[in-house]
Amino acid sequence: MKRGLVVLDPAEISGREWQQRLAVLQRAMAASRIDTALVYGDVSRADDIAYLTNLCVYWNEGILAVPAQGDPVFLTKLSPRVHPWMRQVSTVTDLRSGPSLGKLVADLLGPGNGRTAGIVDADLWPAVLSEEISAGLPGWEVRKLGGLVREQRVTPSPAELVLLRRGAGILAAAAGKAAGEQPDANARIAVIERELRGAGFLDVVARAADAPDGIVTLRVSGQFRTGWLHASRLAGDGNGTSWPDAMRQAIGGAVTAASAGACGERLSEAARPALSVLPPGTAVDVRWVNQADMATSGEYQPYSPDLPMTQGSVAVIGIEARFPDGADAAVAETVLIGTDRAECLTDPMLTAIGTAASGGRAGS
Amino acid sequence: MTTANHRSDTPGSAGQHRTPGKLAPQDASEAASRHRRIREAMAAQGLDGLLAFGPGWRRENVRYLTDTALAGSAAFALLPAQGEPSAFSTRWQDTGSIIRHGWITDAHFIDAREPAALADRLREMAPRRLGIAHYELLPAVLMESVSGAVPGAEVVSATALMDGVRLAKSDWEIDRMRRTAEVCAAGWQAFVGALEPGLPEYGIVAAVEEEIKRLGAEDNFMLIASGGDEVRGMTAPSPRSLERGDMVRTELTPQLDGYWLQLCRSAVVGKASDAQRRSFDLFNEAVEAGMAAVRPGVTAHDVAAAENDVFRRHGYGEYCTSQYTRVRGHGHGLHFDETPVIEGNETVLPENAVLIIHPNTYTPIAGYHVLGDPVRVTKEGPEVLISTERRLFESAEGT
Repeated sequence: MKRGLVVLDPAEISGREWQQRLAVLQRAMAASRIDTALVYGDVSRADDIAYLTNLCVYWNEGILAVPAQGDPVFLTKLSPRVHPWMRQVSTVTDLRSGPSLGKLVADLLGPGNGRTAGIVDADLWPAVLSEEISAGLPGWEVRKLGGLVREQRVTPSPAELVLLRRGAGILAAAAGKAAGEQPDANARIAVIERELRGAGFLDVVARAADAPDGIVTLRVSGQFRTGWLHASRLAGDGNGTSWPDAMRQAIGGAVTAASAGACGERLSEAARPALSVLPPGTAVDVRWVNQADMATSGEYQPYSPDLPMTQGSVAVIGIEARFPDGADAAVAETVLIGTDRAECLTDPMLTAIGTAASGGRAGS
Repeated sequence: MTTANHRSDTPGSAGQHRTPGKLAPQDASEAASRHRRIREAMAAQGLDGLLAFGPGWRRENVRYLTDTALAGSAAFALLPAQGEPSAFSTRWQDTGSIIRHGWITDAHFIDAREPAALADRLREMAPRRLGIAHYELLPAVLMESVSGAVPGAEVVSATALMDGVRLAKSDWEIDRMRRTAEVCAAGWQAFVGALEPGLPEYGIVAAVEEEIKRLGAEDNFMLIASGGDEVRGMTAPSPRSLERGDMVRTELTPQLDGYWLQLCRSAVVGKASDAQRRSFDLFNEAVEAGMAAVRPGVTAHDVAAAENDVFRRHGYGEYCTSQYTRVRGHGHGLHFDETPVIEGNETVLPENAVLIIHPNTYTPIAGYHVLGDPVRVTKEGPEVLISTERRLFESAEGT
């Protein structure tokens, strides 16, 4: 459940920007002759709905119905008693509740008379719900669409970037504190919870896992407003072992190699030299995930090794190692992708090192 | 050694990574008991395979079969009518965790867009009738793979089947829930300890999360509301700052070792008013009435009606409707919101079911009031599982 701060602040995201987000979708709908687009979300992945409206599906499921013209309507299984709060923290004024999302959609749209409804990111909808909606809309053509809203979210606006930078600074400080002297793994997680939730993060997912040599891997994901940040840190001195520093050097190499057009293979090549000291038999994954997909850690998106990073996007670059003894370790940073380099939002020192290594070029 | 944006059951990491943990006798017995209960239910419904699906927000059935905290956005556990179960996750770390824990020793990483290992296992199993728990939540991309792997099979929902299997808790489960209760009680102490004028609602949540995570909680379900008699319900926290005399309401539901347990309480910033005390008395009477109705064989309706009758008797019956409230409690376990305690729900509560009795609603006396205790159904009546006193709390700060 999302149980952090939900706030709609025009000083952060202007009313004009909220309108523009909707307008971009509505233009795409017009181009495809879609009369109503349906956007699904549940508590574990509702960032499309949040992007369009700032609505927080803090629990359960909902559908945002976006007409070709006019304002969207939010349909939810949550009680009508939360409508006043939802109006207060979102741009939506028309909210409807009921136990069946299919019936809510049918009641809202009525007879089709040849109109077309589009199911956004249809592959990721619950199949049963998608079928129920299709069956419950007589006279409508129901068309499956791709990730129209996700595509918009891939590159943050300047206003979103301000929030991502702010969130990254808070998350980096919390992760640093948690990776310092603490009595045990639970205490590390407790520090992260206090720091991030106390700073107004909407969602916090922090995990600590034992790695070899007394090292603990801290994986920290946080959602600040609607944007995701992530950092993985290795805590502990490791009794003089060299692999933690090697992994830190490797992530530095991967971050330095990141830029618009770079792909996972290039990041992997940049990380590889430092990783040669890892024990034989260790398997390593180097990957990147756009922050827009971090609600699911990119697990529902096809990230191929040759997929290029996008100019102006914010991504998480991570290195995961699986040691022969079954333990694992990770390092990761959140970066802003520029034309010829990346800016590391969760560790500015890596940006400085990367800039120095590239002869002081600044291009992001 | 390195791969780029590519995860798999890499042979290089097999070996000890896949060494199954050895189950303690009580764990082995619990796992066997679960398999037997599920298979009995499967047989009654003519199923020769049970596929538990766990999306990121509903992992209870996969947890029931793996007893492992998972992180993948999609996870499955597959139990055939005969033979050993298998597990699958979109997070490769999960597969190692499952195997090391030892409840399932056959676990595989899957790509959500092409879950080859799951499809292969289903093809090999070739069920004639496959039940899927959380069938209603299975994304189209995964449904296509599952259906494609068993083209001749009838695929049906097994969500209710698993809800039924999980309803009565074993002693093993009750022990875990008692430990969650301790964390829950500590979380409430942190809640009351944090209350002071000027603190924003989200600051309270931060204080509670810090404490329960320090004690090992995996997760928490928590709603909150602060203010006076204008408060109509609870939500996620707002930036509203507490004021002296506010009643701060919460339902606090930490999860420890898989098991959730809920506590419902209200606390006043400073001294409680007469109206707040009268409100507490009314709600406490309703909790007591609900508890008095609890015994094996009664229905969820019976408990809800007992609670609502108190409000009706005092002239507040209209506040028991959906306009003002949702349920009068609900079951607990590997999901925090199991069978609802509401008038009309004729689910029979067996011995060892665990539920919270909470008549939370709005009344004009002092606004929305939150009060409730988790109980275990026993032949002797309800056993309250938490040590937190049932009273209207007052914070030390703000007096």
